[in-house]
Amino acid sequence: MKTIYVLAEHRQQHLRDTTWDALAAGRDLAQKTGAELACLLLGSGVDAMADQLAKECPKVVVVDDPRLANFNSEPFVKTLTGLLAGQDSYVLVIGNSNSIIDLAPGLSVALDAALATDCIGFEVDGGKVKALRQIYSYKVNALVSFKGASRIVATLRSGFFSFAPSGAAPGAIEKVASPLGDEPLRKRFLSYVEAEKGDVDIASADIIVAIGRGIGDEEDLSMFESLADAMGGVVACSRPIVDKGLLPKYRQVGTSGVEVKPKVYLALGISGAFQHLGGIKGNPLIVAVNKDPRAPIFRAAQYGIVANLADVVPALEEKIKELKG
Amino acid sequence: MDIIVCVKRVPDTSEADLAIDKGGKDIQKGGLDYDINDWDRFAIEEAVLIKEKTGGKVTVVTVGDEDAEEMLREGLARGADEAFLLWDESFEGSDGYATAHILAAFLKQRSYDLVLTGTLADDDCGGQFGGMLAAMLGVPVATLVHKIEVKNGSITVRRELEAGLSERLDIDLPAVVSVATGINEPRFVSIRAVRKVASIEIPTVDRGELGLDEADVGSAGAKVEIEKVFLPPEGEGAEIIAGSPADAAARLAEILKEKGGIA
Ligand SMILES: Cc1cc2nc3c(=O)[nH]c(=O)nc-3n(C[C@H](O)[C@H](O)[C@H](O)COP(=O)(O)OP(=O)(O)OC[C@H]3O[C@@H](n4cnc5c(N)ncnc54)[C@H](O)[C@@H]3O)c2cc1C
Ligand SMILES: Nc1ncnc2c1ncn2[C@@H]1O[C@H](COP(=O)(O)O)[C@@H](O)[C@H]1O
Repeated sequence: MKTIYVLAEHRQQHLRDTTWDALAAGRDLAQKTGAELACLLLGSGVDAMADQLAKECPKVVVVDDPRLANFNSEPFVKTLTGLLAGQDSYVLVIGNSNSIIDLAPGLSVALDAALATDCIGFEVDGGKVKALRQIYSYKVNALVSFKGASRIVATLRSGFFSFAPSGAAPGAIEKVASPLGDEPLRKRFLSYVEAEKGDVDIASADIIVAIGRGIGDEEDLSMFESLADAMGGVVACSRPIVDKGLLPKYRQVGTSGVEVKPKVYLALGISGAFQHLGGIKGNPLIVAVNKDPRAPIFRAAQYGIVANLADVVPALEEKIKELKG
Repeated sequence: MDIIVCVKRVPDTSEADLAIDKGGKDIQKGGLDYDINDWDRFAIEEAVLIKEKTGGKVTVVTVGDEDAEEMLREGLARGADEAFLLWDESFEGSDGYATAHILAAFLKQRSYDLVLTGTLADDDCGGQFGGMLAAMLGVPVATLVHKIEVKNGSITVRRELEAGLSERLDIDLPAVVSVATGINEPRFVSIRAVRKVASIEIPTVDRGELGLDEADVGSAGAKVEIEKVFLPPEGEGAEIIAGSPADAAARLAEILKEKGGIA
C-alpha cells in the first residue's frame, strides 16, 4: 500500500473521538505496510481542527466547503471521490459511527474499493492487509481479506484502537479546492433534533437493573421493577425493549441511547452488543445473568450467572431483602 | 408510491450455542433456526404503512435460495402485494457487494419510488447493503432512519445519531432508506392473513433474467473473502458463579451487598 488515509469525523466544529481511533489504526497500518499516512479533513471553517490534526499526522488534506459542514453522505462521497480519483494502492480508515454507517458503503462503491465495516483489528501479511471483524450477532470473529484489491475502505469499532498522542513535528496542511460542482444536492440536511427527556434520568443512577430481549415475551415488568426497588436502583434496558414499546427511549442504554455511569450494572438477558456496552461508562461493577455462556456480556462483566432469568431474579430479590434485614 | 423492500433470511445466532464448521470459514448452521432479519420486519411494516396512506404497491424481494420463500410469504401476509426470489446457483458465496449488485440489476428493470431495507443484518453484521445498493443505482440513501414523512417527490426523514441525537434530512425520490428498529410496531400476522396469501405465486428470477455475468455474482463477484472464522476464547472476563440458580442468586446478592449494589 502506498497511502493510508484517515478520514477525520467532526460534529458541530469538534473532532470526534472516532477520528483518533482511526488515526491510531492508520498509524499502525502505515508502519506495518511502509505506507505514507495522511488525514483527510472535509468540512466548513475547519482551520482549528486542521491544526489539531497536523500535530499528530504528517499530512492533512483539507477541503473547505459550506456543504461539508454536516456529515451529509452525498457531498462527502462526491468530494472524497474527487480527491481520490485516479489513485490506487490505499486504505482509507474511518472510525465507525452512525454518520459513517451512512457514508462508507456508498463511498466504497463510488471508489470501486473493497469494504470491511466495523473492524476490530488488522493483520498485514506479505504486504497484504486483512481485517478482523465480528459476525453472527458479534459472537464469532472473522478474518477477511480483500482479494488483492488495491483500494480498501475500512471502518473501525470504537474502543479497539487506542490513540497515543505522538507530539511529533507539525505536519503539512494542504488545502485543496472543493471538487463539488453546482448541481443541487438530492439529500439536504435540515436540523438536529435532541432526545426527549423523561421522568427518570438513568444517566445519574448509581445502581441500574438493565433488561434485554432475554426477558422474553413477558410484557409485565414488575418482577424487574421490584428487584430494582429492592436494590435501590432504576430499571434501564437494551434497544429491543424500547423497540417493542415496553420502555421509553430515555431508558435505553447504549450508543444511540443514554450513556450511564453507575457503580453497579446488573444486566439481565442482555447479550452485550458493543452498541449497548458503549453506553456504560466509568468502569462500574457489571454483573450479568444470561442463559448463553458465550454471550459477549460475560466478557465485560466481572461476575455472571449462566441460567434462566426466571430461576434467578425472584431468588435474587428475596435474598437481597433478607440481607437488608 | 411504489416501494420495494429488501429482506434477508438469517440464522438466529443470538441465543444459540455456535460451533465452527470443518472448513473453518463458517459456523455450523445445521441446528439453527432461521428467520427474517429483525430490522427487515420494520422495513416491511413501514412500506405497508406508507402504502396505506399514499396508495401504490409494495414488493418484497430477497437474494436467497428457495428456503427464503417462506419469509417472502410472511412479507405478503404483512401486506406486501408481490414478492420475488432472486436466485441462481451462481449466487452462492455472494458478499454484501455482490448481493447489492444482484438487487441493483433487478431494480434497474423496474420502476420504484422508494427502496426500503434494514440497516444491519445479524449474520454478517455488515450494515453495508443499503448504501451500496443506492450507490449502484445512483440514488440518495439514508440509513438508521426512525421516521419517514412522505412529501410530493421527496421525503423528510429522521436518522439516528449518537446519544439520543437525530438529524432531519430532505431526500429526493427515488431513494434508498435503511430503517432502524423501533421505527414502527410491526403488526401481528393472523392465520387468516397467512391463508389469504398462500396461493400468490412467488417467481424466481435467475441470473440470465437479470442480465448478469457469472463474474459479477457469487464468490467471483465478491470483493471480500472470509479467510477463517473462530470463536473468541472463552474464560476471559466474568467469574461465573457456580451452583443451582437459587444458590448462585444468593451468592450474587452477597456480592452485590459487598460491592455497593444494594442501596
Ligand atoms: C447503529 C446501532 C446503534 C445501536 N444502538 C444501541 C443502543 O443504544 N443500545 C442497545 O442496547 N443496542 C443498540 N443497538 C443494537 C445492538 O446491536 C443489539 O442488537 C442489542 O443491544 C441487543 O439487545 P439484547 O442484548 O437485549 O438482545 P439479544 O442480543 O437478542 O440478546 C438477548 C440475550 O438474552 C439471553 N436470553 C434469552 N432468553 C433468556 C432467558 N430466559 N434467561 C436468561 N437469558 C436469556 C440470550 O442468551 C441473549 O444473550 C444498536 C445497533 C446499531 C446497529
Ligand atoms: N440477500 C439479501 N437479499 C435482500 N436484502 C438483503 C440481503 N442482504 C442484505 N439485505 C438488506 O440489507 C440490510 C442490511 O444487511 P447487511 O448489509 O448484510 O448488514 C438487511 O437488513 C436487508 O434489508
